[in-house]
Amino acid sequence: MSTSQAIVAGWMESPTSAVNDEARRRAEDEALAALVDQYAGALYRVAYSVLRNQADAEDAVQEAFVRVLRHRDSLGEVRDHRVWLIRIVWNIVLDRKRRAKTRPETDDVSELARVLPSTGLSAEEIAAAAQHHAHVLACVDQLPAKERQVLMLSAFEELTSVEIAAVLGISESSVRSRLFRARNLMAGLLDHERSLR
Amino acid sequence: MTSTPHEPRATASASSPAEETLRLVASLPAPDGLEDRVNAALSAEQNRDRVLGRSRVLAWPRAIRPESSWMRTAAAAAIVFVVAGGGWGVYTRVEQNQPAKVIVIPARMPAPGGFSGAGAMRTPLTLPGPAAPQPVKAKTAQTKAAKKPAARAKTTSNASGRSSAAGATGSSGEGSTRPDASK
Repeated sequence: MSTSQAIVAGWMESPTSAVNDEARRRAEDEALAALVDQYAGALYRVAYSVLRNQADAEDAVQEAFVRVLRHRDSLGEVRDHRVWLIRIVWNIVLDRKRRAKTRPETDDVSELARVLPSTGLSAEEIAAAAQHHAHVLACVDQLPAKERQVLMLSAFEELTSVEIAAVLGISESSVRSRLFRARNLMAGLLDHERSLR
Repeated sequence: MTSTPHEPRATASASSPAEETLRLVASLPAPDGLEDRVNAALSAEQNRDRVLGRSRVLAWPRAIRPESSWMRTAAAAAIVFVVAGGGWGVYTRVEQNQPAKVIVIPARMPAPGGFSGAGAMRTPLTLPGPAAPQPVKAKTAQTKAAKKPAARAKTTSNASGRSSAAGATGSSGEGSTRPDASK
């Protein structure tokens, strides 16, 4: 049974069918497990791109699936589970980011140096790359919230502009215009940083 | 994927480091065992829900748990009927014009162990009242006379004439009576 079939079997039951509770609960559990297997990685990457901390991102993914568990009765109405789940975890991580205190940039550097791919690179090169990426991410953090969100979501190759619009709850044209503004602002910020050096 | 058709090349090239970094961060692999940990957290949450019965706000009793939607509809209709009927019953029983509230002042209790007033009522001392007014009829006669001086003159002249005539007759009478008296 494929993942989508399991999801459909779990949640697309008609309410009039006389399925007993245990069987229905088992089907829902299987469907939820299928969702976890399929989308946990993508949700983690989305969460990590905002929080930039492994433990926090993992907590956000767990919280997203717990929310799914609590609202599983209405999951049959969801068309695109992937976009829907990304939207849930996106709201969670934005909320957490808003509540969390500002972390120093050195945390980002050390975390990036730990998680970035380091095959064939010396320790100094890894540190320099991490420093560069942390600096770029600090510039991204200076962008206005709307432009920053679109720019971050556009980095996910699995998300089209239509899906980004669905995640953010805006129109596709707004996504494009915000992305355009974000790129212009980022170019200005990076040029300014270069001129300061 | 999300490139804009009107995007200038200079902007794209300048922002490429940022997008490269974001893509790098976005493509990081999930840690090993993430799915297992999420599944474990979900099963723990489910167990807690089952133990505490928190899956719904108000759970149906197991014996009468409705399996179809018509029963829920009927239950909801019954609740609405009871609430509306109760409200209507209260509305019909409440009087429209309620009597005004009377505030009952408690009677003054005598001082414990002291003397009572024996029901005596205190009469306040009154000041001396105004003087009694004059009789009204005499006043009105005087004012009428004061108002008509000509009439008063007439009446006085008539009165003097009558008195003189009366004096003459009187004198004659006196004269007539005097002989009688002398008799």
